[in-house]
Amino acid sequence: MASSKKLSPNPTELIDWMNGEGLLELDWDFPEDGDLFAAGLDSMAVMQLVVAVEDEYGVELTPEDLTKEALATPTTLAALIAGKMS
Amino acid sequence: MSGAVRRFDVAVIGGGSAGLAASITAARQGARTVLLERQGSAGGMGTAALVHSFCGLYLLRQEPGAVLANPGFCGEIERRMIEATGMGPQRFGRVDVLPQHPVEFARIADGMLAAESGLETRFHTVVTGVEREADGWRIDLADGGRMFCKALVDASGDAVVAGWLGGGFAVAPAAVLQRPAYVFGVRCGAVLDDAGRLRVSGLLVEGLRAGALPSAAMGLSFRASGRPGEVFGSVDLTGGVDGAEFDPLDPACLTALETTGRRVAHEAVRHLAERDPEWMGAYVSHWPARAGIRESRRWIGEHVLTGDEVTAGATFEDQIALATWPMEMRETARGPKLRFPVDDRPCGIPLRCLKPAGLERLWVAGRCISTDHEAQASTRVMGTCFATGEAAGREAAKVADA
Ligand SMILES: Cc1cc2nc3c(=O)[nH]c(=O)nc-3n(C[C@H](O)[C@H](O)[C@H](O)COP(=O)(O)OP(=O)(O)OC[C@H]3O[C@@H](n4cnc5c(N)ncnc54)[C@H](O)[C@@H]3O)c2cc1C
Repeated sequence: MASSKKLSPNPTELIDWMNGEGLLELDWDFPEDGDLFAAGLDSMAVMQLVVAVEDEYGVELTPEDLTKEALATPTTLAALIAGKMS
Repeated sequence: MSGAVRRFDVAVIGGGSAGLAASITAARQGARTVLLERQGSAGGMGTAALVHSFCGLYLLRQEPGAVLANPGFCGEIERRMIEATGMGPQRFGRVDVLPQHPVEFARIADGMLAAESGLETRFHTVVTGVEREADGWRIDLADGGRMFCKALVDASGDAVVAGWLGGGFAVAPAAVLQRPAYVFGVRCGAVLDDAGRLRVSGLLVEGLRAGALPSAAMGLSFRASGRPGEVFGSVDLTGGVDGAEFDPLDPACLTALETTGRRVAHEAVRHLAERDPEWMGAYVSHWPARAGIRESRRWIGEHVLTGDEVTAGATFEDQIALATWPMEMRETARGPKLRFPVDDRPCGIPLRCLKPAGLERLWVAGRCISTDHEAQASTRVMGTCFATGEAAGREAAKVADA
């Protein structure tokens, strides 16, 4: 599986990746525990995030995974993805 | 309708937020005014396309509390809308927004239009052309009728007058034009709090993955209307296979938007109704009269307001209104990207942006005033359209009176 080659992301890599994908426009110094919802993660961006995470990390986020807590910050999002990859 | 040519001081083409403000203001200055609108109500995108919040009414500020940027007509509409919906301004992130309901907007507009004795409102009236005459403009109507006015306001959203005159306008390349969207009403008991919205996102992606929903469903979002049991859905659309064919002035392209919007809305609501207990029994209750267009032709006036000026919060000696909404870029169907001005400064809109270059007795108001593509991303919002409409109506009445 292609996804097995990918390492789970750390929060800083996630910030760069989300900017690169055009999912969000986060400042270069956006904190790892910064509020992603306040930074523009709306319901449409969440859909794009789910699709992009699947493409990039090979994990399928389900409706149950998409909680406000899990998507709150780059740190919690990295943990969510890492948890699904292991 | 044939017969004698009707003569007015001021004629306003288009009764959207800009034309509503322009016609009422002109009539209040004492000008015999006619408002010509092809739909069956005023409000434009705010009624026919079900756009359901007034942006640009308020200054950008850090402190809590919403402060009107352009008192006057905006203040009147604000008061009436708050009275109708019971909802005041809400802050989302850094901006204050007034939720508005299209059903209330149409009714409020009816009342305001009827209150002006010097104003004649003509719905179901399609203007097909204009001709400059010695001391004004001849207006041709689709029913074969003609009118004459001393001063004309183009509040058509599409700068139709520039189109007929064959020049004096600009259109952004198709690939960067702000994307259109299809807004619809849903009858549904779901509580659209954060958790509810995230669940909807998850279920829609599941549907997309399974091939049960068309890919355009990626542009969907839902928001509570403020009325119990009612939700608005919006689908941001690319306007073509890859967006490069998008032409907001081409009926074939608009037809595709309408049918795609309805298909996505229908399938998505059915999908959610089958999978989310809160959405059980949900159905589409309200189609818009038309898909929403954010940008088409822009007039080239005596001044072209630029994105740099909006960013800097420029001021002008002849400014007639303040633009306060951040430049809301919608060049893709993937949601908004906001560009804020330096220090949250408002930007002045000079009267020259309402004056098409080289044309007398003509004003322009609303989303087609003279700006570049970036500045239009700020000035197109309805709060600002009311304000430019008010100024255009005032100026047109002055000339008609001279
Ligand atoms: C999907 C979408 C979401 C938006 N979201 C927001 C938002 O949340 N808040 C906000 O403030 N703004 C929003 N906007 C922007 C805003 O709604 C529009 O830019 C604004 O309503 C334009 O007002 P207007 O009066 O210039 O033009 P319009 O509202 O387009 O009105 C023009 C009127 O002219 C009429 N007309 C045109 N040609 C003719 C003719 N030949 N004869 C007779 N009548 C004619 C049309 O029927 C129409 O009623 C949104 C726009 C879209 C499309």
